[in-house]
Amino acid sequence: MSHGDRGSSLCLLLASADRVNDLSFRVVRKTLKSGCIPLVVTINKPCKVLIKVYEKDGIDPASYYVIDAVTKYSGGECTPGPRVRYVNTPSDLTELGIAITELLRRMPAGKKCIVFDSVSMLLIHAPSATTSKFLHFLVNKLSLADVSGIFLCVEKGLDPVIVSQMSAFVDHIVDTDKDDSLTCPL
Amino acid sequence: MTQKLTGMMNDPTCALPSGDVFRKVFENIQTAILIIDPAAHRIVDANPLAEAITGRSREELVGNMCHEFICPAHRGECPITDFHQDLHNVEREIITKGGERIPILKTVAKAEIRGREYLIESFIDIIDRKKAEERQAALIGYLSEAILRVKKPLELMQQDFQDLAGQAAGGDFDAEDLRMQLQIHANNLGRIIINLEELQQKAIAGREEDIPREFKDFITGA
Repeated sequence: MSHGDRGSSLCLLLASADRVNDLSFRVVRKTLKSGCIPLVVTINKPCKVLIKVYEKDGIDPASYYVIDAVTKYSGGECTPGPRVRYVNTPSDLTELGIAITELLRRMPAGKKCIVFDSVSMLLIHAPSATTSKFLHFLVNKLSLADVSGIFLCVEKGLDPVIVSQMSAFVDHIVDTDKDDSLTCPL
Repeated sequence: MTQKLTGMMNDPTCALPSGDVFRKVFENIQTAILIIDPAAHRIVDANPLAEAITGRSREELVGNMCHEFICPAHRGECPITDFHQDLHNVEREIITKGGERIPILKTVAKAEIRGREYLIESFIDIIDRKKAEERQAALIGYLSEAILRVKKPLELMQQDFQDLAGQAAGGDFDAEDLRMQLQIHANNLGRIIINLEELQQKAIAGREEDIPREFKDFITGA
């Protein structure tokens, strides 16, 4: 199921705080199953930790790409690799946007999907109005590039303005506490 | 009230000199009053409070057309005479001499005075109330922003700390893995404190422009 003539789909996934982490790797696993290559944007866990968490769940580190906005922020060592791109700080949304564009370009041809983990954590680093503008910019970019996008967010963690704006530019808003089937199409 | 006064004026049994009573009340009441000739849409009288709110003297007001002069409605679009609306304590705007539009609470009554029909427009300035509403909307906006940028991330961090405890107890994560995650949360807590301080400063300064218009409209139901 796609939006208009696009083959891609954009989805906002809402979950309670205790389920967001679990949802992240469930979404990545489902993305892989659907034949899409995931690009995980992590605003919370360093890439090194993310890889270990996903590996424990049986997700091969060679099967996905990562934009890591927190390793440098934590003073950790940034191990370079073809599948990872580091951003200095989550508050630099310009650098984050550039990193997403560049890594998407570097990824092999085929179906791609951004898994944004999470919009709620981004709100620590940018006001809701700025976050809303950034998400709008990102969604437009993904639509033009025919890339799918799944944005994770804590349930009721967005103000009504962001939700109403996002509902205008995403294809689906799914409250996973009400519908846990993750039927959000890619 | 105006109709009662008119009645008093015309009542021969009323002991008080009717014209004087009407004029005293008209000039001292804490409600602005304009008397309009509906056929010509001309102002025929204005009390001192109407002068004060519009910033125009009685001499400037009397004889002028009401639309586009003190009323934002255009010619042919009078809510009373053209659209036959009943205006009773409704929020409207009045145009001042300086061109500013002031929010008012307005009532229009029809009254017959000495055989002719007039419109008695009475209104009060509600600019302070509107400002208070805007201020309340801004404060709710700041509160919502604080919840968004503090409460929800804290809920996520609480969950992460529980995960960290699990990671520390297991053997899959090394000391650097745990240190990085703890440092991220320490940095995030610092950022949250700064966010709260900034929001507090903006709320105290009443910088309503920082709250998106859409959010104010959402809160006020506009």
